[in-house]
Amino acid sequence: MKRSLIGSLPLALVLTACGGGGGDTPRAPKAVGDLLTIGYDREPDTMNRYATHILEDIESCVVEGLVVNDEKMNIIPVLALEVPTIGNGGVTIRPDGGMDVTWKLRPGVKWHDGVPHTSADVKFTVDAINKGDWKPESVDGFDRIASVETPDSLTAVVHYREVYAPYRLQFVRGTLPKHILDGKSIDAATDYNRKPLGTGPYRVVEWKTGEYILLEGVPNYWRGAEFPKIKRLLFKFLPNTTTRINQLKSGEVQLVALVPWDKVRELRGLPDVRLNQVVGNGYEHVTLNQKRFTPFADVVVRRAMAHAIDRDLIVNTLLDSLVTVVNGPIQPLSSAYEKDVTTYPFDPARARALLDSAGWITGADGIRAKGGKRLAFTLITQSGFAIRENVSQTLQKQFRDVGIDASVRLIDGTSISSVWFKGDFDAMLHWWQQGADPEMTLFFAADRMPPAGRNINYFKDDSLTAMLYASDRTADEEKRIALLKAAQRRLAVLIPELPLYNTAKVDAVPARLTGFTGNPTNAGPFWNVYQWQLTAR
Amino acid sequence: MNAASLSNAGAAAATRRAPRVAAYLLGALVLGAVLAPALAPFAVDALDLANRRAAPSPLHWFGTDELGRDVMTRVLFGARVSLAIGLVSALVSAAIGAAVGATAGYAGRVVDDILMRVTDAMLAIPRLPLLMITAAVLQPSVPVLVLLVGLAGWMETARVVRAEVLSLAARDFVAAARAMGATPLRVVLRHVLPGVIPAAAVATTLAVGRGILLESALSFFGVGVQPPTASWGNMLYQAQTTMTSEPWLAIFPGAMIFVTVLACNAVGDAIGAARG
Amino acid sequence: MIRFVLRRLLQSVPLLLVISLLIFTLIHAAPGGPLSTYLENPNVRPEDIERLRKAMGLDRPLGMQYLSWLAAFVRGDWGFSYADGRPVLDRLVERIPATLELIGVACAMALIAALPAGILAAVNRRFDRVSSVFAVAGISLPVFWFGLVLQLVFAGALGWLPSSGRASFDGGDLADRLAHLILPATVLAAALSAAWSRYLRRAMRDTVARPFIRAARSRGLTERTLLLHHALPNALPTFVTVVLLDISMLASGAVVTESIFAWPGIGSLFTEALGKRDYAVLMAFLMCGSVAVMVLNLVADLAVHALDPRTREAA
Repeated sequence: MKRSLIGSLPLALVLTACGGGGGDTPRAPKAVGDLLTIGYDREPDTMNRYATHILEDIESCVVEGLVVNDEKMNIIPVLALEVPTIGNGGVTIRPDGGMDVTWKLRPGVKWHDGVPHTSADVKFTVDAINKGDWKPESVDGFDRIASVETPDSLTAVVHYREVYAPYRLQFVRGTLPKHILDGKSIDAATDYNRKPLGTGPYRVVEWKTGEYILLEGVPNYWRGAEFPKIKRLLFKFLPNTTTRINQLKSGEVQLVALVPWDKVRELRGLPDVRLNQVVGNGYEHVTLNQKRFTPFADVVVRRAMAHAIDRDLIVNTLLDSLVTVVNGPIQPLSSAYEKDVTTYPFDPARARALLDSAGWITGADGIRAKGGKRLAFTLITQSGFAIRENVSQTLQKQFRDVGIDASVRLIDGTSISSVWFKGDFDAMLHWWQQGADPEMTLFFAADRMPPAGRNINYFKDDSLTAMLYASDRTADEEKRIALLKAAQRRLAVLIPELPLYNTAKVDAVPARLTGFTGNPTNAGPFWNVYQWQLTAR
Repeated sequence: MNAASLSNAGAAAATRRAPRVAAYLLGALVLGAVLAPALAPFAVDALDLANRRAAPSPLHWFGTDELGRDVMTRVLFGARVSLAIGLVSALVSAAIGAAVGATAGYAGRVVDDILMRVTDAMLAIPRLPLLMITAAVLQPSVPVLVLLVGLAGWMETARVVRAEVLSLAARDFVAAARAMGATPLRVVLRHVLPGVIPAAAVATTLAVGRGILLESALSFFGVGVQPPTASWGNMLYQAQTTMTSEPWLAIFPGAMIFVTVLACNAVGDAIGAARG
Repeated sequence: MIRFVLRRLLQSVPLLLVISLLIFTLIHAAPGGPLSTYLENPNVRPEDIERLRKAMGLDRPLGMQYLSWLAAFVRGDWGFSYADGRPVLDRLVERIPATLELIGVACAMALIAALPAGILAAVNRRFDRVSSVFAVAGISLPVFWFGLVLQLVFAGALGWLPSSGRASFDGGDLADRLAHLILPATVLAAALSAAWSRYLRRAMRDTVARPFIRAARSRGLTERTLLLHHALPNALPTFVTVVLLDISMLASGAVVTESIFAWPGIGSLFTEALGKRDYAVLMAFLMCGSVAVMVLNLVADLAVHALDPRTREAA
């Protein structure tokens, strides 16, 4: 630090700004190294992790889960000592078909107010969610829990009524503090919902509505007094993407998570910014609604459409090679990923031959028809999403080249959810962003068409459905994966939807930020925020 | 210089070259829009992914966009949409506004009250928010947007026209006409309305530009004219992030908006000056 | 005068009722609802959606929802936000100062520019030419585009001003606040001053051509006296009407400007609420906006009466 004072004034200022809050710089109390400013795309609805329905990035700096998934999608313990499995005795299957999961909590962890974090908080969380007098976003899994036992203050035994395969992520959103919330209406507990009590590296100092949330490192974080390294985090709410990018360029914000892909190009070459890219656990695809546009029910038509799309061209041009072509819903990151599946390379001649063979004959206008029905449908996608607007128009052209007429219609982000939920579309270009658990039942099981699920291809295959349900009821990891791999092979043969490419999670971070890894899932890049550090160049 | 020569000189200058040039320009724009399919050097939906974001060249005068489409072609086709929204919606607004304003201003108490309260109600609901909601409900197409923008803009004209009519009606020559037994309709048409035209013309010319801009604002929130249909507003919106790297994507649609509004204003001024 | 005001206030009650019914119908006709965004999360199951719909009272018939909203609204209970569960009134009130600050400064800037520009343009042909180019530029720039260009130039390339927000989180002194205000206020003021100066110029030109000015001129009054003492007062009523109407348009916030500049006013609250279909906030926002416009309209009418020698005589 001393060295910097010898330099020219601007240099000295820069280096002081990089100081990281060393004790020998009393004259720079607001050194930039102490503060990381994040340009965030939306204001949270609530800081209560169980009630929020948007990403929990800010919340996860304050309230920790029993586990989290890391940048490789491994599920690792946080407030738990270890992740319970059948192998380590943490999970037992009861003779009645139920399942017991024993969570051992990390000793010595205290809530920010000094009260110890105990198994009573785990039990309170389950009971509060199942009580149903407030509005948690999802009760998935909790509604299968019969009861929670607390043999000692650091052990919670969760009794499930049935086998629940994704049990490991049950408490990824953490626990609710019993001593604060017991006997209160949680929806109305504004104190907690605006400034939640957590065990994490940061606490909420100020939430200025419409402007920002300021977090401050807690003095006695359980991982050690040296954490968190960065003293304060400032989340500025900047919903407009261009504004956010402009602030990054001008240095007013230093970190922008999830940069839209079409903005990546202009951020390359900014000297103070590093673009951290991880493969996302999601995939962009074209959903084919068989119920609404019946020609999609013919597997030959679907295969022809797959052959008609030049995915490599799309990825290499429109997406600047940020992503890679994929062949199914489970991504290579996942332990359940199956590599050897049927693929459909770009081959328009093959596509035409397949359509001919299925009886779709090219008409005078260049569009194929069969029995008076034209092979013409509407492809919907979300508006204001430049890449999708461009990809959909490219698909339109590539389909047209083999005699299929797709007209593009853009629908705003809020409306489109209700449109697909009602099945009110022919085809849709979109993605699913998935969690660390590889469950597919919700998307492909025959009885999971809306409103019972998200099978919006309205696709029905009994053998696939059987495999998927079997996998859900298997707590043994290896057996479950074998079932899921078989399901992926079946999916690739039947190709109910057209997979295009995986997603990329690109985060723009300060070049001198270390410890940042990103995260492929919605656990978000802040999962290891306690390790982040702003270093001198 | 005395005042008479000042105002005469002003009017003379205004009626001479500039408005004529502006009128020709507007005519050319409308013609270009109508003849877009014949004039455009490329097909409107011709993609060329190998040739994306190409700078202006002899082949592509205005360059190419994100999908390798010819920007000049899209500007020509965009003119159809933007001019339709600007001009037609302004005419819709002007017609409704003048009718409502003149009727209310001249007819007096009860009619005036009812019409003005309806105007107030329409005026009272915040306009851009109302348009955003309505566009979300109706899933915008070009005719829908023309109608929406037109229906959203007549109230100012009505108020301005009414105010003008009120002040005109209080003047001697109108009172004289009335005293001579002219029917109300005749008084309005022959004596009041011509006096109102300068104010209405200014309001209308402003409405043309406002209509085009309103469409671009709706595009900004994702409820304007939807791609692949081009409008100057949505082209400009899509170009917002590449203003430094590919300026031609923003310059050409932006210049078209600017020139169109400029021309409309010059023509409006001339109308105003000639009648005034 | 008092009877006039009272009558207008009474008339506004049924109007507001009609408006409320209209906007209630509209926002519920828009596809999607407060729960749409939940659907994107695969962990939110259909059972969850059903449970939340009931908990939020969204499963009741629309007519009943309207009536219960209306009954509560007139009692001053504006309900709770569907998005964050806080009282709607709190959410509105905390945003209003930012919007007032922005439009107040923008209107002041616009008036300061428009008054002299309009008057000068009416008397000086050369200035008229120059100013009309600026005026047209001012009204023909899409707001979002102008705003982004200003950000790129003054915050990005030059680094003179903050690009967005209302204040630095740890600053907040007057200089800092003003620095944040300059760009968004300029964007708003540009369009306003352009339109206003043209209206004023137009109105004065028209007045100059009228017989009573010609008569005054023949009495040998100077051009300056004519314009400032006769043409300007006569042009003011139209001008004031236009100014007040434009300001009333801004009463609901400058939706685009606030969005571009991340300005924490009610305009950005609206954008957010529309995206989330936060019915309670949308209703309150639109009703407040409507009331504000009605009040300003009334003020405009009163101002015309007060300022215009002709209608004053006629009445």
